[in-house]
Amino acid sequence: MASPVLAERPAVEPRPGRRRRPGIGRSDQLIGWLLITPALVYFVVFLLYPAVAALYYSFTDWNLRTAPNWVGFANYTELLFNDVEFPHFWKSVQVTLQYTLIAVPLTLVSALAQALLINAIRRGSNTFRLLLFLPVVTAEAAVGAIWRWLYDPQYGLINAALGLVGIPKQNWLNTPELVIPALAFIAAWQCGISMIIYLAGLKGIPESIREAAIIDGAGPVQRFWKVVVPMLRPTTFYLVVTGTIAALQVFGLVYVIFSGGGGRSVTGGPEQSGLAYVLHIYLYAFRYDAMGAACAMSFMLLVLIMIVTALQFKFLKQEAS
Amino acid sequence: MIRRVTGIAAVAALLAGLTACGGSEEAAGSTTLTYWMFQDRTPQAGEVVEKIRTDFEKANPGVTVKIVKIPKDDYNTKLGSAVAAGTVPDVGILDQPLVARYALDKTIVEMPAGTVNEADFFEGALNTNRVDGKLYGLPVDHTAVALFYNKKLVPTPPKTWDELKQMSDAIHKADPKVAGIVVPKGDGYGAWMWPGVVHGAGGEMVDEANKKILFDQQPAVDALQLWVDLLPSSPREITDSDLAFANGLAGMMISGPWDVATIKDQFPELDFNVAPLPYKTTPAGNIGGENAVVFAKGTNAALAWKWLAFLTNSDNNTQLAQALGGFPINKAAAERDAATFGEQQQGFLEQLKVAHARPALPDWIKINDEFIAPAIEAALSGKVTSQQALTEAANKTRALLGWNS
Amino acid sequence: MIARQVRKAPIYVALVLLSLVSVVPFIWMLATSFKHSSDIYTKVPSLLPLDKQTGEWAATLENYDHVLGIGGLGQAFLNSIWVCAILVPAKLLIDALAAYAFARIPFPGRDKLFVVFLAGMMVPTITLLVPRVHITQVLGMYDTRWGLILPNIASVLDIFLLRQFFMSLPGELEEAARIDGAGRMQIFWRIVVPLSKPVLAVVTITSFIFHWNDLVWPLVVTNDPELNTLPLALQQLASTESGRAYYIMAGAALSVIPVIIVLLIFQRRIMQGIAFTGLKT
Repeated sequence: MASPVLAERPAVEPRPGRRRRPGIGRSDQLIGWLLITPALVYFVVFLLYPAVAALYYSFTDWNLRTAPNWVGFANYTELLFNDVEFPHFWKSVQVTLQYTLIAVPLTLVSALAQALLINAIRRGSNTFRLLLFLPVVTAEAAVGAIWRWLYDPQYGLINAALGLVGIPKQNWLNTPELVIPALAFIAAWQCGISMIIYLAGLKGIPESIREAAIIDGAGPVQRFWKVVVPMLRPTTFYLVVTGTIAALQVFGLVYVIFSGGGGRSVTGGPEQSGLAYVLHIYLYAFRYDAMGAACAMSFMLLVLIMIVTALQFKFLKQEAS
Repeated sequence: MIRRVTGIAAVAALLAGLTACGGSEEAAGSTTLTYWMFQDRTPQAGEVVEKIRTDFEKANPGVTVKIVKIPKDDYNTKLGSAVAAGTVPDVGILDQPLVARYALDKTIVEMPAGTVNEADFFEGALNTNRVDGKLYGLPVDHTAVALFYNKKLVPTPPKTWDELKQMSDAIHKADPKVAGIVVPKGDGYGAWMWPGVVHGAGGEMVDEANKKILFDQQPAVDALQLWVDLLPSSPREITDSDLAFANGLAGMMISGPWDVATIKDQFPELDFNVAPLPYKTTPAGNIGGENAVVFAKGTNAALAWKWLAFLTNSDNNTQLAQALGGFPINKAAAERDAATFGEQQQGFLEQLKVAHARPALPDWIKINDEFIAPAIEAALSGKVTSQQALTEAANKTRALLGWNS
Repeated sequence: MIARQVRKAPIYVALVLLSLVSVVPFIWMLATSFKHSSDIYTKVPSLLPLDKQTGEWAATLENYDHVLGIGGLGQAFLNSIWVCAILVPAKLLIDALAAYAFARIPFPGRDKLFVVFLAGMMVPTITLLVPRVHITQVLGMYDTRWGLILPNIASVLDIFLLRQFFMSLPGELEEAARIDGAGRMQIFWRIVVPLSKPVLAVVTITSFIFHWNDLVWPLVVTNDPELNTLPLALQQLASTESGRAYYIMAGAALSVIPVIIVLLIFQRRIMQGIAFTGLKT
């Protein structure tokens, strides 16, 4: 790879002293391609090829050990309609949608609240911003370990704190109804990036609009609904789309939280209440020897992500206009 | 569209080229044997394995054994990726239920005659490696789960289910903050332990020869009902806490020998012992442990079998099995070293005498995780009766396997 | 002035409470990591490493000693540093060059290619896992350090973010430089890079955070414990030392602290950069 680059070099060197009109030259084309080549090679080898291969596997029966066996659309139809072969497929869809519907709004609301508060102060705003951002940088493996310990029914800090205000001890990670809220709370705890983006959005609201609203006699609550929320709509839109895509793919957190250790298998928490879609894919790929079905599930997820994104674009864009 | 297809074809051709010129290093000349095993539970265990390794290298000049240790939770993921990528170890541990599968698709090889003397092994442990009458691996240790009890709360361990229930009630009544027993959960691990209870009521999980599912019969229903009945005296909000038994928050728990060392090390003040599982009609339990197999795509198969024979011979097997948290599968080693096992280990040895192997069905892991575990969970949560839960699970299993009864 | 401060008091109270929620888990992690094993299980959780019986200060470094040595976190720490030290700058360079071409250098097929790249961004990572392992093996990098690096050497998302930023830069400076005879690369290094520091910082930091914390790829592409990265070693610690909260928390602390240091050093740049990525939509 190195020698062609060197050989091409002279062709793109600027000719000193000669002025010429900037435009699309042959050298531009060449350098354009050269700059893109490393990324393109990566894209083809580590993204395009794996994607095409996975698409092929999704039409096969493959246990990772023997040659894949072409089965046409069987994986797709069985996933959707055969509850013997795939008893928890729809459960995993339900869990993931529930998680998304709770985690995304919760994250956005807490991010916006934090941003509004920080935006309202001068002194100390950098410190608070940093403190609230800290959870973002923590590895999933560490987050899982810390929160399993925080949620412990007997020794956990959460129950101890709730006890102070008279709320009885909860068995957070072992009560089916509480699992998703507990996971969503962790997601909201890690809302720092959204908070910073909201903060930037707030700073972008022109002072004149705010002042005009004050002159019109709008109180803080009215100003929030009439000025802040509409002005932040593009930001919210971006955060909803990226947040949804991320939430639909939640995996690491669930994997770490429910792999209790000691070789205990990760089967998705009590009554599969934490069986996230991607965890389900993982189990089929690596535990039940059904890579073909796992790939089919991934492509269904891809389609779902595309649909959700398209719908959000349509819906939110309409509302914004 | 057509253009896109040709594009993909071009990519495929490009990749074929990559495959052709891709460098793969060959270990020519030197004999290195790669052995995969589970991550050690304790540093002492690591030293034992290391000593056996150097002994083997001394006995076989020119041979290097490379041991790769992988956490149990990640083992199958890594092994799966490695097999898919074509980079298998020469020899390694394989989960018992996977032996049949790997043997059927020829990922692992049959043991050549004369590798070991089969009569030296405990039959039950050896049979977990048998597929269609042929041996595809060797057990390196075997183990069982049994009843741990806190001597302060449980003066004499219960022998029968009735005694167990009474004991659990008594403990919780005496102190509502303490649970009677840590009732297993409806997850993969709980479903793995449960057959031992079913056997204790004289039941079986499946009849492989006649293709019958039996875990919806009365003994299995009774076994599940036992766990349901234990729950009121063993609230989950106590037993789900971190190390509830070790912390004295539960009077009993079902677990394996590996927990003995952990508890002794971390909770030296806890006075506990281990007894065989309580039963209804017949003393019984389930057998676990680690099997080791030789991979078809590995090199040095002969050396690999020699290594496995070395691990399981009477000189090494006791130490190795203890390091792995189990018991020797070599009869001579077990007899000779019986006295070296601690007080708590006697309960497991007792249990092993009546332990049953898991069904050797290729789909057993999936059945365990996806049908039996949810059935246990559903019954324990009170959403359905034990009979309803098991009937549904058994019917699904029948449909999956294509069995009629 | 004073009246204004008083009016702000509830805001500060709210912020302090929220910050507590955010930070207390870390404090508890640190406290637990310094506790003796006998002081872990207390009826009232303690945010300081105190003796269970006497309530006196009783901190220990034993847990760190254990996880760094026997726990394998020392080696994993070095591996993670090695991987990030090569991967993060190399990735930044490749992404920035491609993004610059996509943003500024017109050539036939450029925009179509970009759309194809963007579509690739949506494919769930889990889909690509096994084929990626396969190709890594074909390239002879399975279970090697390079296998941790090369399959992650570019990021479509980062190219997208960088392109958006480059496009927002005023074109006049570059025009002027071109008229003065500067080549594309000179313009890139002398004009574009200095103007893009915030976004370069954010791409650097997010990719550092991501690869420092990434569990899944190292899990499937390496077997040799000598190659364990920090999250892998941590997960291993959590699953084999099940229940030994003091070891796990010491390991977690070791994995978090370097990232916090990086965050403290670059915080202003990072905040600016993240803010930018959200605005340009």
